[in-house]
Amino acid sequence: MSPVTRMYGVVAMVTALIASNAIAADDKEIIDYREHIMKTLNEQSAALGMMLSMAVPDDNAIAHMEAIALAAKMAPKAFEPKVQGGQSKPEVWTNWDDFSKRMDDFAKKTDEMVRVAKTKGAATAMGNIIEYLPCKSCHDVYRDESKK
Amino acid sequence: MTRPRPRLSGLVLALVLMSPVSSRADDQDVIDYRQHIMKTMNEEAAAIAQILQQKIPAADFATHAEILAITAATAKKAFEPKVPGGEAKPVLWANWKDFSKRLDDLTAATADLARKAKEGGMAAAAPRVQSALTCDSCHDIYREKKD
Ligand code: HEC
Ligand code: HEC
Repeated sequence: MSPVTRMYGVVAMVTALIASNAIAADDKEIIDYREHIMKTLNEQSAALGMMLSMAVPDDNAIAHMEAIALAAKMAPKAFEPKVQGGQSKPEVWTNWDDFSKRMDDFAKKTDEMVRVAKTKGAATAMGNIIEYLPCKSCHDVYRDESKK
Repeated sequence: MTRPRPRLSGLVLALVLMSPVSSRADDQDVIDYRQHIMKTMNEEAAAIAQILQQKIPAADFATHAEILAITAATAKKAFEPKVPGGEAKPVLWANWKDFSKRLDDLTAATADLARKAKEGGMAAAAPRVQSALTCDSCHDIYREKKD
């Protein structure tokens, strides 16, 4: 079901669910939400990656970078609620200072990527892409891919 | 002068063998690329749905709508190459004018959502979400679900 179709039936469903399962449902919503942001980052990075390997033309490169920068900006808040689960390791919250600093750096770097792309051209920004997208270095510490 | 020859024909053979493979790979790249764009829109529309259901605070609603607007605009380039496959119905290219207008409309409507949310908050934006997200009406015509 598409998210839009889902929206139509949702009011009735939510009302029915609220009584007993409210807390569990909320936790799942929080996990789903941060995963929507991560998956947005993933699809957009994959699109950029296809341009980097010249599999598709790079006309949209700056747009993908902008989408990544916007998603990166939202990511820290999505992890603020201390809800364990998904692929998040408990260290996200026990080392919150480090985790949130990495998130802030990520947002700054992706802003810089957009700025460079707009002033010096997408190709210049693409040349530094590993530097702008520290996905793996954070995942190595804070994500457990064996979950799910 | 005998040695380069076999090498050269070896190279020619390799090129001949490669070309059908690489053109198929190119088509798959085109399909993968437009699907990355659609899947991005799916994640962002889902985040917006969570906000409308009040499961998630609304502070970033405008940013999600903005990502949708940016992404919908990229879809046009992504669908330009006439490469049937994936879940795209070939009629999409026969009706390109209609198809691309729908993408323009989605871009405009989601940009407007972001603007409305920034100016007037959720109260101004929420009533417009359903009419802005025209995903299903396009899919009904141009997408063939292969689940
Ligand atoms: C500062 C840390 C951090 C950064 C930077 C980061 N991630 Fe993540 N990512 C996480 C954590 C933590 C999870 C686990 C979320 C969960 O499931 O609760 C995750 C999950 C994911 C997932 C799995 C989502 C799912 O549910 O299927 C993908 C895909 C992903 N990230 C892609 C990316 C990409 C691409 C980037 C860079 C453009 C990125 N991430 C940057 C911390 C980060
Ligand atoms: C103008 C037409 C059009 C609009 C508008 C549109 N889509 Fe699509 N969508 C398509 C087509 C065509 C495909 C099939 C692409 C393919 O597989 O080649 C598709 C595929 C998809 C897929 C499947 C991707 C995959 O491969 O897993 C999802 C999910 C999706 N769209 C979500 C959305 C969402 C969410 C929106 C609205 C925010 C949206 N689409 C708006 C035409 C559209």
